[in-house]
Amino acid sequence: MTTTVSERAWIGKDLKRREDPALLMGTVTYINDFKVAGMLHAAVLRSPYAHARIRAIDTSAARALPGVQAVLTGKEAAEVIGPVPAFCAEPVVEHAIAVEKVRYAGEAVVAVAAESRAIAEDALDLVEIDWEPLPAVTDVLSAMQPGAPLVHENLGTNVVYDHVFTFGDVDGDFAQADHVIRRRLRWPRATAAPLEPNGAVCAYDPARGTMEIWSNTNMLNSASWVMSSMLKIPPHKLNFYPMYTGGSFGSKHFLAKVIGIAGALSKVTGHPVKFMEDRLDNLMANDSQGPERIYDAELAVTNDGKFLSLRLQTIDDYGAYFIFAITGNTNMMAQITGPYTIRSVATGIKAVLTNKNQQTVFRGAGSDVGNWVLERLVDAAAEQLGIDRVEIRRRNFIQPDQFPYKIPTGNVYDSGNYPGVLDLALAHFDLDAWRQEQARARQEGRYLGIGLATAQQRSTYSSTEFWFHNPAPATGLNSTPESVRISVGPTGGVTVTMFSPFWGNSPETVVAQVVAEELGIDPRDVNVTYDSTAHALPSAGPGGSRMTVMLAGAVHGAAARLKEKIFKIAAHMLEASVSDLELVGGQVRVKGVPSSSVSLADIGMRAYWFKLDLPPELESGLEGTFTYDHPYTTKPHEDRKDLGVFYPIMGHAAHLVAVEVDIETGAVLFKKYVAVHDVGTVLNPRSLQGQIRGGIAQGIGLALLEEVRYGADGQNLTSTFVDYLLPSASDVPSIEVYHQETPSPFTAYGVKGGGEGGRMVAPPAVTSAIEDALRPFGISIAEMPITPEKIVRWVKEAQSRRSGQTH
Amino acid sequence: MKPARFRYFAPHTITEATQLLDEQGDEARLLAGGQSLLPLLNLRLARPSALIDLNEIQALAFIHPRDGGLVLGALTRDATLERDPLVAARQPLLVEAAHYVGHPAIRHRSTLGGSLAHADPAAELPAVMLALDAAFTLQSSTGSRTIAAAAFFKGPFQTALQHGEVLTEIHLPGLPPRSGSAFLEFARREGDYALAGVAAVISLAEDGTIAQARLALCSVGPAPLRAAAAETVLQGRHPDEAAWQAAAEAVVSELKEPPSDIHGSADYRRHLAGVLTRRALALAAQRAERSHS
Repeated sequence: MTTTVSERAWIGKDLKRREDPALLMGTVTYINDFKVAGMLHAAVLRSPYAHARIRAIDTSAARALPGVQAVLTGKEAAEVIGPVPAFCAEPVVEHAIAVEKVRYAGEAVVAVAAESRAIAEDALDLVEIDWEPLPAVTDVLSAMQPGAPLVHENLGTNVVYDHVFTFGDVDGDFAQADHVIRRRLRWPRATAAPLEPNGAVCAYDPARGTMEIWSNTNMLNSASWVMSSMLKIPPHKLNFYPMYTGGSFGSKHFLAKVIGIAGALSKVTGHPVKFMEDRLDNLMANDSQGPERIYDAELAVTNDGKFLSLRLQTIDDYGAYFIFAITGNTNMMAQITGPYTIRSVATGIKAVLTNKNQQTVFRGAGSDVGNWVLERLVDAAAEQLGIDRVEIRRRNFIQPDQFPYKIPTGNVYDSGNYPGVLDLALAHFDLDAWRQEQARARQEGRYLGIGLATAQQRSTYSSTEFWFHNPAPATGLNSTPESVRISVGPTGGVTVTMFSPFWGNSPETVVAQVVAEELGIDPRDVNVTYDSTAHALPSAGPGGSRMTVMLAGAVHGAAARLKEKIFKIAAHMLEASVSDLELVGGQVRVKGVPSSSVSLADIGMRAYWFKLDLPPELESGLEGTFTYDHPYTTKPHEDRKDLGVFYPIMGHAAHLVAVEVDIETGAVLFKKYVAVHDVGTVLNPRSLQGQIRGGIAQGIGLALLEEVRYGADGQNLTSTFVDYLLPSASDVPSIEVYHQETPSPFTAYGVKGGGEGGRMVAPPAVTSAIEDALRPFGISIAEMPITPEKIVRWVKEAQSRRSGQTH
Repeated sequence: MKPARFRYFAPHTITEATQLLDEQGDEARLLAGGQSLLPLLNLRLARPSALIDLNEIQALAFIHPRDGGLVLGALTRDATLERDPLVAARQPLLVEAAHYVGHPAIRHRSTLGGSLAHADPAAELPAVMLALDAAFTLQSSTGSRTIAAAAFFKGPFQTALQHGEVLTEIHLPGLPPRSGSAFLEFARREGDYALAGVAAVISLAEDGTIAQARLALCSVGPAPLRAAAAETVLQGRHPDEAAWQAAAEAVVSELKEPPSDIHGSADYRRHLAGVLTRRALALAAQRAERSHS
């Protein structure tokens, strides 16, 4: 039974995050703070070459250094651990420490365990490697050429995946179109770059054959069976402990290489071993680089601005390995047609391997790219047809009465009110005033621009997206459960246990609010804790904006089970019938007779220590557990003409942005930023706003600053924060965030996930604003980051084109 | 990211420091604020045999008035420069430029002398020293000498400091009346290394023309540079847009080979140097006029 909005005591309340005091007081333990007795420290020697064969490695001097306990080459490590687990069906094999050849600059070649990290690094200085450098491929177009150096010789090609998906009558719709908008667009390689890099402490017990693992992986419960084959230890003999995570953004899903390295060294030394990435390790080899794509994108449009069909062809630079296959491309098929009634889609995907650190998933997971590509086409259509950018979007929105709405790929959008979100954004932005200000500024030779994006933010992933692109998948996984346990102790205290770790968001706040709602208690009285995998219930962990939805569902279910027992005990104590009871303010009472009540403490004590006074069929103890499965997912059709429902909990946002561009320096200054998000029922406005602002900051970073760069020789040119430019406080404007609430019909309380939305919508909005500022020069922006140097160059080129025309 | 082994000393006097420099030999390095040196150590790009930490030498941290100008101890923190009323009154250019050095946390450690001795071509303060005609006192165990800023900066991370010498004092002559200054730079983000930076000082004559213009740039060459040709162009002219434009063109043509990297090509830096020169000169002249009114 779900409470209705008006009855809710705690859901939707703007409470302070309960995680913050511990984080601010420094009382939580991050992996780098963690120590166990006898622990050694690891350091890793990384390849100076992007592509090279390892002829020989001499580690004798390193081994002889006092304080060094073990030195492992890739070959030696392969005797104690297997390859890194991969979800791809293609035979692309990766080792935590490279064997025989390296495929990107920064790939691990030797690992050392020593009494201190400094000694371990001293030892790395003493390793001698005989290299045979090979030509590197760093550009997808060259990598696709016949005769290009092969990243994986066994594949016979660098094009590891190549397929065109067609949904609906694309050719027919394009034939009917009055206009075809065409753009070649480039999305830059970015990386998650959390403040805290990846780390693990692995403790192998040779007597028991067990390994205990403390790490900042997000995917504890998936990790044990996934990592078992690599560590060569059965899953039930691995115990993963949850740690507080200092940011993930998708980059800490498995950490297989970090756990593999620490695990191998622990097996060899018999000591616990910590391997903590430093910034160089993380930026060169964290396996969390985002997509790097070239798109040929086409939108079929009628004279009155109706979008009929979308045709995309992408070449995507996946880097040197392929652990999540083409997830970055399948993900965006959940919302490929955006908030618009586009009736057919073709999307061609060429995944190409190069000598770079591999692409996996990073906040948005490819749907960020899809939004930018689509919104670029929509802006271009508005420009080409002479229709206002707001108006053309209105004409194509799916209307509120059309939900649930099935898009051509087969995914279903649960609910939405897109015109409502846009209206709210316009009301807060004051578009007319900004247009006047823009006209006035242009008289003074200043360039103001107004940007708009209206885009989707899918949430609550289903694991079918990892394999449905493949007719013969390596796995056919289709569960993504999440569980909690709620216990009421003998004195009435309520504890909620989660089985996924804290990954930087607000899971404790969310869980406490929902439990408080269900038990009629104060969320500040709820204790929230985490448990290790040895004690865990099924849990898939954070990813794909799912945890708020999944935890809310799990708590809702667990509370119902708990309440059943509470009511049974209370009924026994009050000598009343269960149907006559209600739970209010932590008291169970007979409806209409407030004086006849028992507290949770009374019930708890009875449940734990007075078995003879319980109803005879009840066991001692008072807890409710629940495993919440994905609220709505279906399998893909055999022919893949319909991918099934895999990301139906669909949020939406409208961003309106005003910028001023200094055309002499290329500087971009934000004047106003309004973001309206609809992610269903809001559990906590404050934590959601934080998520949205943080996401927008990352989106601004992508639009203006961030890019992983490789030299032609494959050297990583952005391996420190001097060169990989994250937005800082002075680069991010004050952002006004507003919520519209269109509940999901499929989830507990109607919540949707909001974790990635800010980053998924900011890039097209910012691009649109800068393009609008530069409209007097006729500049069409087709790439990011939009650096000051590019702006200056585009303006100069436009000016010289103009003067060429007038002469 | 841990440094290779080194010996560590923390002397309390300049004499002890120079003795240690002599004893520890060529591979010893002086440590001031550490904001450039420590990352180099951690990346093992620098592997000194010994670090001689100057932070305990109280006698190196001072700001004194002298002859209408200033004398500053080499250990003066950038955060102090930003806030000191005497510096603000006599050399506001230093206050303005110090604000561009990194971020507040960095400026609370980083020092004026450290920045000058490190001589990063992208650093702001060396260019400011050129524009202000600064002179430096260099002390060794055998005595001390004074050298003009113009003779001090030799190239990227190269100075006239000999082994055994410590930069101890920075002398800044006072500005003539009717002077104004400005520092402008452009970086990808606030606190980043500048892609180009300009320090400008304009001194006006009685008749309102430019009596003297001093202009120095950072991050557009192997060392901070004084734009002599542009200064000549400005001499005696009326302070107006045309003058700034002429000076900017002189600066741009004076730049030989600005550095080029992923944050900005040589062409773009040259372009920025012109734009910033124009803007900095206009601002400095405006301030010079205001100082008179």
